[in-house]
Amino acid sequence: MRWGMAIELKRCVGCYECVLACKAEHFLPPDIFWNRVLIGETGKYPTVTKLIYNVRCNQCADPACVKVCPTGATQQREDGIVWVDEDKCVGCRYCMIACPYQMRMMYEDENAQYFPGQELTEHEKIGKELYPHQPGVVQKCVFCKERIDAGIEAGLTPGVDREATPACVISCPTKAIHFGDLDDPNSEINRIIKEKHGHPFHPEFDTDPSIYYID
Amino acid sequence: MSQIKPYDFMVKYQQQKDWIDGRGNFIAFAFFLGGISGGLYLAAAYFDSLLGMFVAWLLSLLMGVSYMAHLSHPFRSWRMFMKPGTSWIARGFIFIMLFIGLTTIQLILSQWVPEATGAITVLKVLAGIFAFAQSIYTGFAVSYVSAIKVWNSAIVPILFVTCGLSGGLAILLAITMGGDHAQLVMLENVIRVVLIALAIIIGVYLWNTTYSSTAASDAVKRLIGGSLALLFWIGVFLFGIAIPIIISITSYFAGEASSGLLITAIVSEIIGGLALRFAILKAGMYTPLLPAE
Repeated sequence: MRWGMAIELKRCVGCYECVLACKAEHFLPPDIFWNRVLIGETGKYPTVTKLIYNVRCNQCADPACVKVCPTGATQQREDGIVWVDEDKCVGCRYCMIACPYQMRMMYEDENAQYFPGQELTEHEKIGKELYPHQPGVVQKCVFCKERIDAGIEAGLTPGVDREATPACVISCPTKAIHFGDLDDPNSEINRIIKEKHGHPFHPEFDTDPSIYYID
Repeated sequence: MSQIKPYDFMVKYQQQKDWIDGRGNFIAFAFFLGGISGGLYLAAAYFDSLLGMFVAWLLSLLMGVSYMAHLSHPFRSWRMFMKPGTSWIARGFIFIMLFIGLTTIQLILSQWVPEATGAITVLKVLAGIFAFAQSIYTGFAVSYVSAIKVWNSAIVPILFVTCGLSGGLAILLAITMGGDHAQLVMLENVIRVVLIALAIIIGVYLWNTTYSSTAASDAVKRLIGGSLALLFWIGVFLFGIAIPIIISITSYFAGEASSGLLITAIVSEIIGGLALRFAILKAGMYTPLLPAE
């Protein structure tokens, strides 16, 4: 089993809903983004093309971050999900340096709040209880592994059932993001990647990403 | 990352800052100290300078302190013994610990049990191996990062070792000054060769890197004529190469250099070594994921 995503670029409208859903799901502090929307442009007037790419950790099959981690804090599960054991991370930042996609960040300021000078919001207070983040350790997207694990335990299928599917996928208003098992030749995600010619982002980085983009 | 405007992120070339800003400065210091400590130990062991080996041991301890200061959670650093299989930082940590441990025993024996020549020789060889490993691993830790093209070069470890050796020899020269004249002359001769080699390696590295990729070429341009030019030309070139070489050549033709000139060359060489680590780390640029224009 290897969880993966397929993102249809023509469907993405750049609404940032996936970014917000991720922030809400994991109670992410200010300045921490597990996924992002990159916006670029190619060409010259009048033939300009706007590029909108929703990016996150690619959960690479051959991840540079896992190799360089000196303590084994960054680990890869059998289902391909790369995650950080916060209790083992020393904060050397080698993984941040090594990730060619730059999809890792350091959570440093534990006092940072969304509305500085005011009381913490209810969401922030709940987050500190339910999903505490350790300062001085590296953060990254984990494909909402908690949702996947709980969903599978409840007999649900990730990518099919909302409760077992990553927050960014189910929040997308245009259904641009698909999720499923890349190892299952009959899965919906494999059909989409095959039919619509999905390709990994920057394959030249040679890390075998689990996220495919469809032009 | 918070200083990057959201619309700039990975759409333009971005300088790596994790190993140069804030706590990141300590890793540059650690790499520098590891280099000169390794170089100094090798030189001191060759010239049989007990004081030189002791200073190398002190510098390695300082490297460890600098390393710890770089970490957000230094008390978890014992975990770095766990993954030498794939991580250069873990390997480096082990090299430093082994070097410090072996050198401690060797220094104790050399000082208080000098008749144990066999054990001292074995310890010197082992400590020498780890001194070299401690010096070269800093280069491998950097060159392993394929995401940063200007670092991803096989020349970087050679460059770091040579620079470390040059700094180590300079410190040994300072220790030897006022001592055995023949040894001083021999040291000066070795330093001349190492300095010329260092200048050639820096030149080859920059030339080779220019042709490896656009990101690497841009980084070299920043080093030579961009925002890092001052650091490169004054720090690396002037202090690290030009001043020591000029003094070295002057002393070669004049027969003997004054203490003042030698001290200038030594200090200059050490500043140059530090500037080189900072320049290379600061030059690290990420290739954008999307074209900006």
